[in-house]
Amino acid sequence: MRAGCRLVAALLATALVVAPRLAPGQGPADDVRAARLDNGLTVVVRENPVAPVVAIALLVRMGSRWETADSAGISNFTHALMVKGTTRRGGGELAEAVAGLGGKISAAGDVDYSGIQATALARFWRELLALTAELALQPRLAPEEVDRERDWLLSRVQRRRDSAPSRAFDELYAAVYRTHPYALPSLGTRESLGRIDHAALVKWYRAFYRPERMTLAVSGQVSSAEVIAEARRLFGEAPGAALPPDPALTPPRTAGQRVVVDAPAQQTQILVGGLAPSLEHDDHAAVKVLSTILGGGMAGRLFVELRDRSALAYTAAAYYDPVREPGLLVLYLGTAPPNSARAEQALLREVQKVRDVPVPVDELARAKGYLLGRYAMDRRTNERLAWHLAFNEVQGVGRAYPERFRRRVEAVTAADVQRVARAYLTTLTTVVLGPPASR
Amino acid sequence: MIVSTPMRRLSLVLLGLLLAGCASSAPTPVPAPRAAGAPNPAPAREVLPNGVVLITQEHRAADVVAVQVWMQIGGRDEQGDELGLTHYLEHMLFKGTPTRPPGSIDRLIEGLGGTSNAFTGYDFTHYDIVVPAAHVRSALEVLADIAVNAAFVPEELEAEKKVVYEEMNLTEDDPEKFLARRLSEVAYRGHPYGRPILGTRELVKALDRDRLGAYYKKYYVPRNMVVVVVGPVTREQVRSLVAATFGRLSSPPSSRPAAAAVPPLTGGRRDDVSRPEQQAYLGLAWQAAATTVASEDIPAVDLLTYILGDGPSSRLNQAVREAKGLVQSIEATYVTRALSGLVSVTARLAPANLDAAEAAIFDVVRRVRAEGVSESERQRAIVTAESFYAFDIETAEGLAKSYGQAETTWTLQDELRYLERLRQVTAAQIQAAARKYLGDDAVARVRFLPKGAR
Repeated sequence: MRAGCRLVAALLATALVVAPRLAPGQGPADDVRAARLDNGLTVVVRENPVAPVVAIALLVRMGSRWETADSAGISNFTHALMVKGTTRRGGGELAEAVAGLGGKISAAGDVDYSGIQATALARFWRELLALTAELALQPRLAPEEVDRERDWLLSRVQRRRDSAPSRAFDELYAAVYRTHPYALPSLGTRESLGRIDHAALVKWYRAFYRPERMTLAVSGQVSSAEVIAEARRLFGEAPGAALPPDPALTPPRTAGQRVVVDAPAQQTQILVGGLAPSLEHDDHAAVKVLSTILGGGMAGRLFVELRDRSALAYTAAAYYDPVREPGLLVLYLGTAPPNSARAEQALLREVQKVRDVPVPVDELARAKGYLLGRYAMDRRTNERLAWHLAFNEVQGVGRAYPERFRRRVEAVTAADVQRVARAYLTTLTTVVLGPPASR
Repeated sequence: MIVSTPMRRLSLVLLGLLLAGCASSAPTPVPAPRAAGAPNPAPAREVLPNGVVLITQEHRAADVVAVQVWMQIGGRDEQGDELGLTHYLEHMLFKGTPTRPPGSIDRLIEGLGGTSNAFTGYDFTHYDIVVPAAHVRSALEVLADIAVNAAFVPEELEAEKKVVYEEMNLTEDDPEKFLARRLSEVAYRGHPYGRPILGTRELVKALDRDRLGAYYKKYYVPRNMVVVVVGPVTREQVRSLVAATFGRLSSPPSSRPAAAAVPPLTGGRRDDVSRPEQQAYLGLAWQAAATTVASEDIPAVDLLTYILGDGPSSRLNQAVREAKGLVQSIEATYVTRALSGLVSVTARLAPANLDAAEAAIFDVVRRVRAEGVSESERQRAIVTAESFYAFDIETAEGLAKSYGQAETTWTLQDELRYLERLRQVTAAQIQAAARKYLGDDAVARVRFLPKGAR
């Protein structure tokens, strides 16, 4: 679980992510079995014999997408409280039980989804599944734990504010999305966390932790038939009910602006963002390719031009997360304060160039290889495989998505890249965060 | 490229597998009584005539092969005025050779759907490429080329200085990274392990092509190279590819500088740093068993560290965070380098709790020294160690790293036997390790204090 930290895990690992391409047909769609329980809960299992481990992801359609400024962070807060104990054991005992399986368990809220992730040695898969079910269906949600968890979350909000890159991303999301819930940090704010009380947390849990909203994914050295049977036994009793579909959100409207933030740091952060398509949009694959051309790895344009050629930046990358509502294409630089102005200009020149000039064929091919390689590489450990299986279900794109995504990426042309660059890199929002002297 | 100190546990070990001696001319296939259904065969190790060590293993987890080079040269080998050269070399190597212009290596590897990475440690320097298995030859050709033919284009060399300065800034900006570095500096004051692996701004500024080239020629020789290949490739395939690349490198005599012994932490050392964060950080570190010093104690120290500070059920987390609420988070880690290991406890906390938290940590350690650990704690720590290993071998590069690190700082055999040795450690031995290494007066302490506090 990303613990409500949009993008930041990827952020500090820009230049070193590993990413080969799997041959077609070797993707994780193989060996996957799925079942829907009578109460609406979806179960997906991948048998993976490589190592003696098992991973579980139980994702729920719940997250900042459903929050407001007053309730920001409540999905994550709910999960922080859940792991403090179940009706059968306290948080320490739960942690101890999972550690005894050679595993770990965590729960957190994110943007489009929230949930529980757990791993263990494969020989303990039954015990791990039982503990996951217990945490999801019988959390204690004890009132006396609320204040302490709130303090812990407030300290994390503070730490996130202390981290220049994280804070710069939060500022950008706020400036771009404004009244749309994607503007809200998944961790919440000092003000919202102060307002959320025990009753609100219990109500939030009950509204969202329903079988119809949940997907259980398991990957590892297990038998899918045995896992599905055990999941039916553990989760089948939870009462289901027909739920109305989630209300549609008003799409974000952004004016484009330049936000300057003073912060004590050795580095200046420069972020430029444009609203981009959602995960399911026809342009998603083309914008992914565009993002890769600009900021995908060490051969991405920002890295080559701004770091390798002119040494104007230390970190230079682009991010574009797959989300259910309109997404955000972010171009990111970390630079020395004296270089800040020149780095920002150079970044905007790259934007202009990709809008004006079609991408050369070999560069397009490289970007596709890199993008698909990264995507394949991210689905190799069981923890990530389980997460992807569950993610594709809760986002409604289904188990065939990886193969569909691959085909769409391969079909992207240079004209497509130029078209989406013009469409989505037009109204730009800029955040510059660093020591005051740098501007 | 990125730098990193190897903040990684050594317990990267093969389940119940024994390597039966390593011939110098032919690879040694070993019958593999593997535990728990892991489907991969054993690694084979051989030494090529020019001195290159080759370790290879078939691993059919995915259609991806890990190709790594481990140089037996690291930050600890630098003379005073060479500080930072090892790391600078690491930055320059992927930049190109006479036949591969700047930028072309990155474009080649990424375009194949792969990635490259490198890091500099105190005992070794590591280069790695991960590519679809069909491209294993390209990966080996690139690595063999940069291992001896790096071009050091003058403009590239100058431009990279700014990148290294920024890397220094980045480490200083990140309190977690900076705490780890500072703890190491304080715990190893007066020894190469206590020096900054990036060097200093002054030395990097003064660094020139001749000096870097001389250092490279001196140490980047076949006898200092370990090549590790793990993936869906056969041993025979790898042997012929490596013979045609690394096997052809000529072998001048190499002389790694003699390693200096690490001075003990007798009496302890303290360091307070004023920082811009609102939060305080506390780090305590003790010197412990290492791969060339008291290595028989490593498994016990490893288990001890898990019991003290791995995860929510650990003693430190239960006592200092859960029961007393003195810290926001706390954990213990054990890093083993060749000449010294370091057990570190690090915590994030409110500045007002610094003294109380430190006292509480020492209470936890004292109790382990006085009363030992329970059988159930011992068993759980062993499961934890098994688990770390099992998750490491999910990927080809994880397995390759465990072999490369073992070969450069320990031995492959020790690595392969490690889990078996760990399972035999008794609760009494864990207590003995705490008494031997975790003394109250042999500790390095680093605190980060918010500006304005105290």
